[in-house]
Amino acid sequence: MWLYILKRVLQGLLTVWFIATATFFAMHNVPGDPLTNDRAMTETTRANLEAKYGLDQPITTQYLIFLRNLARGDFGISFVQENREVNDIIREHFPVSAILGVLAVVFAATGGVLFGALTALYRNRLPDYLIMFLVILGISVPSFVVAALSQLSLVSLNTLVGFTVLPVAGWGTVMHMLVPALVLGLSTMAYLTRLMRSSMLEVTSSDYVRTAKSKGVPPTRIFTRHQLRNAILPVVTVLGPAIAAITTGGFVVELVFAIPGLGRYFVEAVQQLDYTVIMGTTVFYGAFLVFMVILVDVVYGFIDPRVRLDS
Amino acid sequence: MSDLTAASFAPLSDQQPSQVIARPSLSYWQDAWSRLQANRRALVSLYIVIGLLLFTVFGPVVWPVDPAMQDIDQISQPPGTDRTATLVADYEPWFGTSGLPGTGLRLAEKATSQAVRLQWDAVDGASGHRVYRNLFPIGPELSYGIPMAEFLNNDTLYFEDRLDLQPGRFYYVVVALDERGLITDRYQSISVDVERVTTRTEALERGLITESNAVQIGDKITLAWHPLGTDYLGRDLLARLMAGARVSLFIGIGAPFLFVLFGVVYGSAAGFMGGRIDQLMMRFADFVVALPFLLFMILFKIAFGIGPGESGVFPMLVALVVLLWPATARLVRGQILQIREQGYISASELLGASTPYLIMRHMIPNTLGVVLVTVTFAIPSAIFTEAFLSFIGMGVAPPTPSWGSMSNEGIKTMLTTPHELFFPALFISLTVLAFNLLGDGLRDALDARMRNVE
Amino acid sequence: MKAAEENVDPATPLLTVEDLQVEFDTYGGTVQAVRGVSFSVDQGQTLAIVGESGCGKSVTVQSIMGLIPTPPGRITAGSARLRGHQILGRSTVGGKEIRGAEIGMIFQDPMTSLNPTMTIGDQIAEPLQIHRGYSARDAFTEAIRLLELSKIPEATKRAQQYPFEFSGGMLQRAMIAMALSCKPSILIADEPTTALDVTIQAQILDLMQELQKETGMAIILITHDLGVVARMADEVAVMYAGKVVEYGSADDVFYRSAHPYTVGLKEAMPTNDPARQHELKPIDGSPPDLFAPPAGCGYCPRCPYAMQICSDRQPQDHNLRGHHSASCWLHHAQSDSRPETLFFKDTH
Ligand SMILES: Nc1ncnc2c1ncn2[C@@H]1O[C@H](COP(=O)(O)OP(=O)(O)OP(=O)(O)O)[C@@H](O)[C@H]1O
Ligand code: SF4
Ligand SMILES: [Mg+2]
Repeated sequence: MWLYILKRVLQGLLTVWFIATATFFAMHNVPGDPLTNDRAMTETTRANLEAKYGLDQPITTQYLIFLRNLARGDFGISFVQENREVNDIIREHFPVSAILGVLAVVFAATGGVLFGALTALYRNRLPDYLIMFLVILGISVPSFVVAALSQLSLVSLNTLVGFTVLPVAGWGTVMHMLVPALVLGLSTMAYLTRLMRSSMLEVTSSDYVRTAKSKGVPPTRIFTRHQLRNAILPVVTVLGPAIAAITTGGFVVELVFAIPGLGRYFVEAVQQLDYTVIMGTTVFYGAFLVFMVILVDVVYGFIDPRVRLDS
Repeated sequence: MSDLTAASFAPLSDQQPSQVIARPSLSYWQDAWSRLQANRRALVSLYIVIGLLLFTVFGPVVWPVDPAMQDIDQISQPPGTDRTATLVADYEPWFGTSGLPGTGLRLAEKATSQAVRLQWDAVDGASGHRVYRNLFPIGPELSYGIPMAEFLNNDTLYFEDRLDLQPGRFYYVVVALDERGLITDRYQSISVDVERVTTRTEALERGLITESNAVQIGDKITLAWHPLGTDYLGRDLLARLMAGARVSLFIGIGAPFLFVLFGVVYGSAAGFMGGRIDQLMMRFADFVVALPFLLFMILFKIAFGIGPGESGVFPMLVALVVLLWPATARLVRGQILQIREQGYISASELLGASTPYLIMRHMIPNTLGVVLVTVTFAIPSAIFTEAFLSFIGMGVAPPTPSWGSMSNEGIKTMLTTPHELFFPALFISLTVLAFNLLGDGLRDALDARMRNVE
Repeated sequence: MKAAEENVDPATPLLTVEDLQVEFDTYGGTVQAVRGVSFSVDQGQTLAIVGESGCGKSVTVQSIMGLIPTPPGRITAGSARLRGHQILGRSTVGGKEIRGAEIGMIFQDPMTSLNPTMTIGDQIAEPLQIHRGYSARDAFTEAIRLLELSKIPEATKRAQQYPFEFSGGMLQRAMIAMALSCKPSILIADEPTTALDVTIQAQILDLMQELQKETGMAIILITHDLGVVARMADEVAVMYAGKVVEYGSADDVFYRSAHPYTVGLKEAMPTNDPARQHELKPIDGSPPDLFAPPAGCGYCPRCPYAMQICSDRQPQDHNLRGHHSASCWLHHAQSDSRPETLFFKDTH
């Protein structure tokens, strides 16, 4: 088990290195450079700044320095906000995105499992049709439209009631989080519902459920003891990619609901061509996702006994 | 049993060797096609997809309106609005000198979409005025609206509003300012009904009237028709949706086609070569999978850059292909390994068949179904990605429309003119829905093993 | 044992199935999977049901257990009586649960028939908790004892393991332990050894016989393998295309086969008996399409002795000797064809 985890972590580190390298070279391919942005400057200031950010070095040296700093967990200093460390930016904004993401994943997973099981139980009856209709809608409507529409309905809800039931935008309290997290998790929830439904149907017609019936196990117990746990397994396996989709999909929700998360900051940094911030955030997100996937796999090992000893 | 004769017990002469199979055996594709036809949802989706393609290709022929043309008489008009306008003389500047008689805040002339001209008497004790415009009445919270102008003395007691006027009701408020230029609680207000007008010159330019027409100033004429309304710049939404469809579907279909093609080549190469090379190639694919997709989309978009005069469609295409091929590669490799294991390839290999022949005869027919399904499911996600990037302003460069960038623009005016968001969003949703359902149907039709229990 | 049994005529067999008919609605139409099946089985006896794949063996026993998925499945006629009490469509008889308590069942593929995410011990303990009201701990202890009875070494450790840690043969032993945990009066085994190695097969069959001797339960054994039938069965029902075509004691069916299909089955079976060393003769052709069951004898297109009437009219059951019967026109009084491979009523 521990060996397995160790192996996965080492693989993960290798992947992070790949992400970092890809990021570095993609960024250095960008036409123009961050210093020619908008401020006119003299040759000397320019040279000074280039020296400060190491832009005067040959690219291989820059790359090695970048890797060395990365190994130390140092992403450098922002180009635009000159005295701000990228680490500070991540430290300040990532928790917001993380809370939003975790909440959205929780919504998506519980909703997906619940609705998926429900549709399978009521297969080809009204609840099934209703939920599957909503699922199709959830998969087909782009997230920004959902975000905008839910914001719109919040506005009208608040005006209708006459006081602020739920805030329309911003961040701070749990109330601020609910709707954005729901919107963020929605398409994943729809996807997981579909997955859970087909997995549940497969389990329902499986040999071991038939065995359980032949033992005279009552239906509710068959559902809880035999069907649910097995049906959830495929849902757990896709949770890693789902977390990835949710965290990176956070940009839109953060933009629409004016949430000060890392995603929104990333978009801003891209617009301002803030080299270090872009690279730092990308590598950070990449590493985060890689290790989330590993975490999910390890957790899966605890749920599925077949994987447990498999190392 | 009296009806039984000796003949009944005579041996059956022409004994068929076995039961004749009653149902005709169909080829793989015929069978798949008939199963697809039996799936009503998939069939409807197929029609929608065909309809969308026709809309994209032939739409501009049927509706040859320039998507970039601005109809300044009809800004942000929802579909089905009244299109009549009164012909007025060309605009001439106004200095508050002329005007209708009256007291308080009043209209100097009839309010038109060309200009709203206001006059007022100095509010008692005011040392200046500020003019506001709003779409709603003042209400108990004293919401005046957007400030339009400020006059720090009592010399100017008139205001001409020419900003983005649309037919409908506007509320104007003139608030008194104190000596320090701060607003006081004394104000005058007026509600104004703006009438749509157009000038003779404009009407001529747009071909709404001709020189020879006997249309006089003051006559009613009918403005250009916009079946789905116009956007915030007065551009025809239908024409823009058609142009946007070209971009969205080009990326939506082109990118999956390319990356699936690349994935197939890569995956089958790995599957055929096997061994160390296969391991290495798949390891690389794993790395690419681990790249955070949207971040790298954005990164690549800026890295490949948008040159002058470019729409940015190409960089997006490249980025999608670079990032999304591994899934197909994995799938195809798996299929090929499976087919190889199933033995009938090695049987033909023993007979000395050439590799290209093997690929043509066995691999392609066996993997084509899976690949087709992959492409169908990849299309909606590519369309989403384009829309998403355009939405955060990283997509195609204006003025090239795409459904995503149109949604992005539409969202800003969502509260007042929802149709500008509704139509592009509808097209995105419809397309994604159609391709998803079609993918489901294809998967069910092509491969019973891939079918989820439904 | 119980009150329910006492007021029943002791001559009544333990389980009687009469004229059972089962259909399935599918996209291609209605499949008549079982078309009037009758048999009975007594305490301590083993009834073997043999027949080709798809002839309706599993559907027959699953109907008795109420395991037919409805829809698409439907029992359209017939009865199944346990000690005289109708059990079709019921879940209890005489206050006792049928499934698990009165009838235990084991399946063909032990690898997929056990829940992969539940320990073997818990799975064996489950019926004890449900039908016997055991506490979780007692049930688990009993499960370990049952595993030991089923000759699983290190039962205590094994009970805490998951199915994937067991071999196929061990899983089938665990299945047997599970099916017998509540001491049912009937054990239904649907091809219990098909998925196993030959040596393991013999061990499993031995185990079943041993347990049968101890508990006096009846066994309904479904199999393709006539070798297994010869070794285990007291009674045999030969099924073809949803019907029982020959029924009787094992000796009758084996040594006095009265139906051409039974003979075909025997000839298709490999044997190491030197006296009967002839070439293997697989039966040509395939069973009829049950979407549209034939008007006459279902075996007609493959039968070497088929007569004019066979293709038009269903043969009747002909009683031969004791309760040995066969459903074939050859046994009709008016038929004068007497193939020598077959047994006829007045032979001897
Ligand atoms: N759930 C179902 N839906 C539709 N048809 C079914 C279903 N279950 C069984 N059948 C049909 O009933 C017929 C009998 O099936 P059954 O499983 O009883 O055969 P069997 O004799 O047990 O075969 P095998 O030896 O392969 O187990 C088959 O032709 C099958 O097509
Ligand atoms: S009834 Fe006729 S066809 Fe059927 S088994 Fe007997 S002889 Fe053969
Ligand atoms: Mg069977």
